[in-house]
Amino acid sequence: MSEQSTRRQFIDGSFRILGFAGIGGAAGLLTRRVMGGTVFQVDPFKCTTCDLCRTSCVLSHSAVKAVNEFDKCGYCMLCPAYFDVTSQPDEKGIPAGKVCPQDALKRRVVGRVDQDDPNNNYYEYLIDESRCDGCGKCVKACKPPAGNGSLRLEIRYARCVECNECAIQIACPDLAIVRVPTPGLVPAGPPAHQEKFS
Amino acid sequence: MDATDKESAELSLLDRFSRAWFPPAAIVGAFAGFVAAAFRTRPEPKAAPRRAKAASPSQPLHQIASAAPPARVFDREYFRTAFPAGALSSHPFRRSLSGLAVGPGDKIYALGDDEVRIFDTSGALTANWRVIENAACFALGPGGIVCVAAANRIEIYEAGGHPRGRIEAGEPGRPASITAIKFYQEDLLIGDAAARIIRRIEISGRQLGIIGDKSKAGKFILPNKSLDFDVDSKGVIRATDTGRHQVTAWALDGTPLGSFGKFGMINPEDFVGCCNPVNLALTPAGEIVTAEKMVARVKVYTPGGKLLAVIGSENFDPNCTHIHLAVDSKGRILTADPVRREIRIFSQVAKAGANEAGREEYKRS
Repeated sequence: MSEQSTRRQFIDGSFRILGFAGIGGAAGLLTRRVMGGTVFQVDPFKCTTCDLCRTSCVLSHSAVKAVNEFDKCGYCMLCPAYFDVTSQPDEKGIPAGKVCPQDALKRRVVGRVDQDDPNNNYYEYLIDESRCDGCGKCVKACKPPAGNGSLRLEIRYARCVECNECAIQIACPDLAIVRVPTPGLVPAGPPAHQEKFS
Repeated sequence: MDATDKESAELSLLDRFSRAWFPPAAIVGAFAGFVAAAFRTRPEPKAAPRRAKAASPSQPLHQIASAAPPARVFDREYFRTAFPAGALSSHPFRRSLSGLAVGPGDKIYALGDDEVRIFDTSGALTANWRVIENAACFALGPGGIVCVAAANRIEIYEAGGHPRGRIEAGEPGRPASITAIKFYQEDLLIGDAAARIIRRIEISGRQLGIIGDKSKAGKFILPNKSLDFDVDSKGVIRATDTGRHQVTAWALDGTPLGSFGKFGMINPEDFVGCCNPVNLALTPAGEIVTAEKMVARVKVYTPGGKLLAVIGSENFDPNCTHIHLAVDSKGRILTADPVRREIRIFSQVAKAGANEAGREEYKRS
């Protein structure tokens, strides 16, 4: 009788411990998931391209870079983010000046190429991240209604050193640097099509 | 003392705590911890005082062309007239305004808030009915029918708003993106921005031809993914080629008939920005009315491309990416500003004299 009672108690206790461990483990995992896996990122809807990303980052070459969203991009011949459309046009009527002071915005013809008339071509715009300093001039120029708004600033995880307190976040007057959840995020390099410039 | 009490008395204090209190306490504690963790917010840093921004070396883009001095005196001017009293104020467009047309008797048809609304010449609402959601454009057809397009679908409504049928445009696997529709007699012309062509179809849906693919330069270049056009009584189609900054002319069989326009930020005759003009309409006299974005303005050209008039950017929201256009039988220009969601009417002012270039000059009356 005593042995039976001990066995029952043992089984009862074991299940109880397992139950507690399960609850605790699940709570821990959920807590970790909620609290961890977030990174600093630029909120494009708040960002006003004030140029502080360029100067405030602890890195000498800011971790903030311009990126082009190709689905939105119009592949314009006269891209307002590429050309300074207010500059004096050349003999072909194309503006001579460029928006990017670092010459980090590159372009190439895609699709059918018309050598005689560049107006008949589509152009793909790419960011040379080794040159881009995150000043955001191109982003500002691409905003609607001038452009399609395909360019935006983004903290590149391959460069970001994940400071406890992001220096850009502290400086940003628009509170545009936010923590965003990135479950399963693996710090990645620049997209494949931009690697050639890096 | 019964058996239960006896058993209870035999249990140690730890056992009793373990059995009676610890499980619920652990569950409540774990849940509270999880909730606290889930709702933990990172304190937002106080906004740093906004630094005085360095003066930009260049003006904002939307101010450039409007600030540029006019290259010449325009032959004619248009001035804004207030929409007749009471109009739209009792039926404002609250969410969207995506189309404008003028019907028989100069009635104003407007598409917005998932409705077609009809206003009479005094501006009073005479009829309205619900249409498909997210409609992008519409057209008035013979017999008072109204065709409303959204994505690749065209819904056909009777004059009173009763649904009559539906057409789907595009090829299998490549649906059309309809950004403009117009009637020419019994046929329907569809601006397909996805295929970068204008389709001519019967009301039954049978395709009769394609316009815009026979040009030596290729199809329309549409960086802003929008194609607009209008057709005159002779069947000449005028279409926007936004990427090339041109207004193009086409015959109904697709033969290109010419074009005018080029990029330019200074001369008002030119089209600004990456992709303009975005909207187009024709007057009864055959003049071409264009609307631009970036510098939100409306201009009037002769069929040959000579600039006649400019309706300035002060009349429109600077964030307009489309200004929907229509022209009534008197030649008045109607504009629909989708950002402000308002319709304005611009009338031609009276003739006043001739300028030094020998052109007729008109002054604001």
